[in-house]
Amino acid sequence: MHDAMANDSSVSASARDFAKKRRVNRSAKLKQCKLDARREQWLSQVKGKSCKVTPMASPPTSSSPPVPMPRPQSCLHDSDMVFASHSPTSNSPGKPPKVGCCPNNSVSSGGSTRSCSLSASDGEEEGARGEENSAIDDWETIADALSAYKVNDGCHPSCDTRGPFVESRVPPAPVNDSGTRSTMNPEPTRTIPRAWRPDDEFRPQSLPNLYKQQSFPANMERHFGAKGWSHPAILSAPSSCPICYEDLDPTDSSFLPCSCGFRLCLFCHKRILEADGRCPGCRKQYSPVEGEMLGMSGVKPLLPFQLSRSYSMGSRS
Amino acid sequence: MQASRARLFKEYKEVQREKSADPDIQLVCDESNIFKWTALIKGPSETPYEGGVFQLAFAIPEQYPLLPPQVRFLTKIFHPNVHFKTGEICLDILKNAWSPAWTLQSVCRAIIALMAHPEPDSPLNCDSGNLLRSGDLRGYRSMARMYTRLAATPKKR
Repeated sequence: MHDAMANDSSVSASARDFAKKRRVNRSAKLKQCKLDARREQWLSQVKGKSCKVTPMASPPTSSSPPVPMPRPQSCLHDSDMVFASHSPTSNSPGKPPKVGCCPNNSVSSGGSTRSCSLSASDGEEEGARGEENSAIDDWETIADALSAYKVNDGCHPSCDTRGPFVESRVPPAPVNDSGTRSTMNPEPTRTIPRAWRPDDEFRPQSLPNLYKQQSFPANMERHFGAKGWSHPAILSAPSSCPICYEDLDPTDSSFLPCSCGFRLCLFCHKRILEADGRCPGCRKQYSPVEGEMLGMSGVKPLLPFQLSRSYSMGSRS
Repeated sequence: MQASRARLFKEYKEVQREKSADPDIQLVCDESNIFKWTALIKGPSETPYEGGVFQLAFAIPEQYPLLPPQVRFLTKIFHPNVHFKTGEICLDILKNAWSPAWTLQSVCRAIIALMAHPEPDSPLNCDSGNLLRSGDLRGYRSMARMYTRLAATPKKR
């Protein structure tokens, strides 16, 4: 099932290692992006003297990624999303800095940082590998924390403009110096700047969730434990057939022949059908038709997975 | 044939890996035949079999795990569901309630559980069953304990 999802999002078979590598890259890159963003902001401040906001206003934005930062703000306000899109334009080197409109400045660093974090997810090969990522273990949380911080700023309403928003989603990597270029297909979905509220349908559903689920089993347990999803999850956990002990391939692992949830490989299932035809899990007779239907619905856990995922996000906030 | 061999080999590796997982069970595969296993199980505590070590013989059919292994006691045991002479075991999971999801290890656990909870209504050892059914718990216990001492207690000194 995981493999299917990974393939959907055009990631090759070694999704797990890939995910880990990407996570490391991503967080390292995020950090670098933040540094870049801050430097840029300072430069622009020097350039446009009209800025009234003290430079001190920005460091907390980027240097304190408090993981427990509450999410509710970020899901209540739409407007902070616009910042993410708006600020990069003011920061991007090619364009005249808009820092002149003063209160925007402290926000812009956060905004560009966040867009960095967005665009950083695509570049995998390049740079910043050596940087430690101990402080930042979750780029998503940081993004949310940033947005939450900005909401608290209370200066955003003046800057709400729809134009830059649309504009910035076309060039997905406004911050060029970070060396990030769009290389992945799922990238557009992910760089839509507003895709960060739990209830947002544009929230990057495919890859990050998958990675999280694979790399944070403990979290997954905590978030999903109480939901109905956990049942098939646990039962689908075995990577090998409990009958022949051979590894389950993706077809096998999406094969759910019995309503009791007992999984086995197709080969053993066929052998059992030729023998007494009873499910090894519950010892009830396999009914071929029902088994077929359930086998089809073996793909179904994807849906509860996504639903419960968003639910868990909502409950956390 | 091939499937059963592969599965038994996997079980063998599992047993080797988790040798200390269950100290009451010691599963040994025949050196020349993977379809022959023996197991040493400890009599469960607070039963007349406590302190005894009982040897089981597994004969595994080629259709395993679709068919259950044939298990019998090599050590004499006074138990309502074990034939006193042949050591045959009357246990549902070794007959019609077998599931391919069981392993040799889990069969051993089931047999230990059977020793702790005899089922006198389907006796293979009628003497033992009759003692229990007539409520002569003390008679059953003393007989079982005696045979545990005689047959199943490791010789010391």
